[in-house]
Amino acid sequence: MKSFKIYSPASIDEALKLLPHSRGPAAFNAARLVAGGQDLLGEMKDHLVEPEALVNLTGIPGLDTIHCGSSLTLGALVRLVSLERHGELRAGWTAIAEAAESVASPQIRSQATLGGNLCQRPRCWYYRNEHAPCIKKGGHECFAEAGQNKYNAIFGGGPSYIVHPSDLAPALVCLDATVTIAGGRGRRDMLLEDFFTLPNEGSVERENVLKADEAVVGVSVPRLPSPWRSCYLKFRERGSFDFALASVAVALAVEGGAVEGGEIKAAKIVLGGVAPIPWRCTKAENYLVGKPHEPATWRRAAELAVEGAEPLEHNGYKVRLANGLCQKALRHLA
Amino acid sequence: MTSNKTADKPGWGARGDHKILHHDTPRASAPDKVSGAALYSHDRRVPGMLYGRLVCVPVACARIEVDLAPALALEGVLAGVVLRDEETRFMGQAVAAVAAETPELADDGARAVALEFEELPWAVTPEQALLPDAPKVRRRGNRGRVRKIGDAKATEDALAAADFIMTADYSVPVQHHVCLEPHGVLCDWRGGDTATIYASTQVAFGVPGSAADLLGLDEQSVRCIVHHMGGGFGSKFSLDTPGRAACLLSRECKRPVLLMNDRTQEFQTGGNRSGSIQRVRAAANRDGRLMALRIEIDKIGGVGGGAGGPKPFHYRPSASYFEEGSVHTHTDSSRAMRAPGHPQVAFVTESVMDELAYGVGADLLEFRKQNIHSEVWSRQLDRVADEIGWSSHPHRRTPGRGDGWTAEGIGFAISAWGGGGHGGGQATVRITRSGTVTCSIGVQDLGTGIRTLVAMIPAEEFGLQADAVEARIGDTNLPPGVGSGGSVTTGSIAPPVKVASWKARRAFAEHLAPLLDCPVERVMFAAGRVFDGDAPKRGLTWHEACGTLTNEGLQETGDWRGDLQGSGVHGAQAARVRVDLMTGRVQVLKMVCCQDSGLVLNPLTWRSQVKGAMIQGLGQALLEERVLDADLGIGLNAQLQDYKIPGCLEIPELVALIDEEDTREFPIGVGEPPVIPGPGAIAGAVHNACGARVRHLPMTPDKVLDALALLED
Repeated sequence: MKSFKIYSPASIDEALKLLPHSRGPAAFNAARLVAGGQDLLGEMKDHLVEPEALVNLTGIPGLDTIHCGSSLTLGALVRLVSLERHGELRAGWTAIAEAAESVASPQIRSQATLGGNLCQRPRCWYYRNEHAPCIKKGGHECFAEAGQNKYNAIFGGGPSYIVHPSDLAPALVCLDATVTIAGGRGRRDMLLEDFFTLPNEGSVERENVLKADEAVVGVSVPRLPSPWRSCYLKFRERGSFDFALASVAVALAVEGGAVEGGEIKAAKIVLGGVAPIPWRCTKAENYLVGKPHEPATWRRAAELAVEGAEPLEHNGYKVRLANGLCQKALRHLA
Repeated sequence: MTSNKTADKPGWGARGDHKILHHDTPRASAPDKVSGAALYSHDRRVPGMLYGRLVCVPVACARIEVDLAPALALEGVLAGVVLRDEETRFMGQAVAAVAAETPELADDGARAVALEFEELPWAVTPEQALLPDAPKVRRRGNRGRVRKIGDAKATEDALAAADFIMTADYSVPVQHHVCLEPHGVLCDWRGGDTATIYASTQVAFGVPGSAADLLGLDEQSVRCIVHHMGGGFGSKFSLDTPGRAACLLSRECKRPVLLMNDRTQEFQTGGNRSGSIQRVRAAANRDGRLMALRIEIDKIGGVGGGAGGPKPFHYRPSASYFEEGSVHTHTDSSRAMRAPGHPQVAFVTESVMDELAYGVGADLLEFRKQNIHSEVWSRQLDRVADEIGWSSHPHRRTPGRGDGWTAEGIGFAISAWGGGGHGGGQATVRITRSGTVTCSIGVQDLGTGIRTLVAMIPAEEFGLQADAVEARIGDTNLPPGVGSGGSVTTGSIAPPVKVASWKARRAFAEHLAPLLDCPVERVMFAAGRVFDGDAPKRGLTWHEACGTLTNEGLQETGDWRGDLQGSGVHGAQAARVRVDLMTGRVQVLKMVCCQDSGLVLNPLTWRSQVKGAMIQGLGQALLEERVLDADLGIGLNAQLQDYKIPGCLEIPELVALIDEEDTREFPIGVGEPPVIPGPGAIAGAVHNACGARVRHLPMTPDKVLDALALLED
């Protein structure tokens, strides 16, 4: 790993001043924010980035709090382990706790942060290989498109076919989270759903709207009153320490609680692991409204959730998998 | 008590009489391994030591020039050597190495080495290698000579005449050994007349000669130490590239050098189990007879030839014919890996047995027994069938369908192996006046438990507890051991240890007989005492007895004897799985193995060995596969994040049963056979659960979902 300087600012404003003002060809060497370091240090060891300096956020006070009120507010430095162990959070925002506990391994969850999880880089085999100069790293080609694309996108791909690796992102997007971004010109709030960008929106080398001198500082999630319930179902090849082949976050409001056969009043479904961004299934959400909460409904909703998928040579199975996960998640909420 | 009398020749004695042997005895090194006190070669640190790192070429095939100067210009990088300065032959081949003051500096140094290379055309996959204009991996081309076995005409006739015929292609991808300790050594040489090599090796006594040549020393002046060893599985039979590089670097700077592969290097150059593509036609009759088996086999062994296996694989068709050849690619050579060649043919043959049994409406278990012609395998299959619950299983002649969400199924498979030992090993047993007993033999312990046996065997002989004997192993300054490969370690090492123990006991009995006032053959050793067998109360404690020795104590050396070991083992396994029909996940719920191997000297480490093999088989069945990009000529999953091996959550209930009906009174090695049946049994269970036949390993969810989708078409 290349040597680097490390700064430990005491405030977010001080931290942002250490970042470059714009992204340019020097981004490979540019100063980077680091918190848990679970993704960035791996990238540095693999020589995917070689920053001259790291700006360590972990000494900044006030960014690691969890507050449950009329909405849930989370600081960017909250560790994933805190999300999974927080009883009130789990009761009110179940999908978030379930997404947090599905990440990697206990060691990583005790170190990794919410902000880092949302801003982590793709796991695509080609992106992670120093010797594959792919389009995400400034090259001209997405090698996955015609290569080994078993783990790649079935929705929203082109010109890059990565999938977003975050587990928290689909859960938070499903629950209509808002993200707070601090930058050189002040703070801005936006729907987390709008935070993530497809490869054909903005730069193909990035996965979100963050500017060079901006940082995620927090997330807030409205409380969904009874009878809403939510869950996050992740599917991975290995039982632990693995990224999702596909995942789904579902929130449902069923008349009279989560009773099988009851009328569905409202629904939210977001897929993970299938697209470069958390993939909201609007058609399925709309379909579910007014339907009885029963297997035939789940099957139709799951079909609609994966409608329009454009699988590559080796990932056609993801269509069936995402369909199956939707059915399982809906059944789980019955 | 008769067995405790001093016998006139070394023998294992009757099975029921053992006090230590044939009883569960905890692994001698377990506390050190669990606490971290055990030092593997990777853990060794000596004063003045440098860290070495290999430099590997990032393309599959290139003409190359190596310039070490930029690396040597870095502060802290003290030496560099060029290992290859011409064409590279396979992906990731090592061409140079550097040594530096810290591991980080060694990494930096390795990256700083300037590689001028001209990329040459390559073929890293069999498909590429077989294209008409493919670059030649070997001078004679990319297809090796095809070996023909059996009677082609008789097989065609049998296929034509049979009631049911099937045709299908199967494949087994390249699997890796995944030794948790990578290949490498610490070469401790400081410019003097002697050197010590701490090696992660399966053959300690093979190291000094090769290392001495590189260091310019006599073989007798080089010592190899392997006190603990983090897995070999067949891949660690030589000094190898990392070891060679460490010696050359050490020679260059006259300082000790530790050089281990990094994980990617380990995947790309540390060996692999050859892949296999098999095109099958097979037939059976409605009466359950296996009529014909015809398989064309391509072995995928990289620049090497790949491993075959028994043909036909144990089941006996009326006629069979095989064509087997290698397809060469620009990837590193396959190496021996736990039962080389066997899992590949086992997976395919067992799958074919299932497909034929369903085709003729036979019970999967009965169809196997009918076509195996072996009482041993039949009883073992019955045993695992009982344990897995076959008789109450609802789908024995046709696959199940499940309940729409999940489905459960059962599968079977068998194996055979040799496992006999050979001569060359020698053991020394020493008893001191203060009562200590040491047993010394230089053999390495791959993790199979030989260290524990080296203590248990003398303990049995002297009527002591196993922990009263100190086992000294893993050192070429000790009496010679043998290489550990082919499941031979127990058969090669237990006999000399037994002979040395017996001779020491005999000598001790002769010394004690006058003191006990009884003939030598009545001197008995049991429960920490030595006494007259006809008057048990007249005797001495072990320590009192040892106190009568001179200051020199007593020492005896034993050589190998063929009658203290044997060869030829059989096994059967059953697996029960649950298939998630929504996601394609295969969860193995239970695996059962019934295995004969003569007299099991330590059932506890025997079961560990068998279970470890079952886990490795499960990994091959469900997870493991080397993935390459053909166009870029690079490996895509050459680290443990992406090359997935089973973790705790993948490992099911494992039952390892000793086939107690095997009454042979001598030990036989068991390291390899239990790794063979896993993929066949698990694939059979998946098919049995839901009708999805996955013909290409590993059975990852994508392939299971695709196979399920085929059922709907």
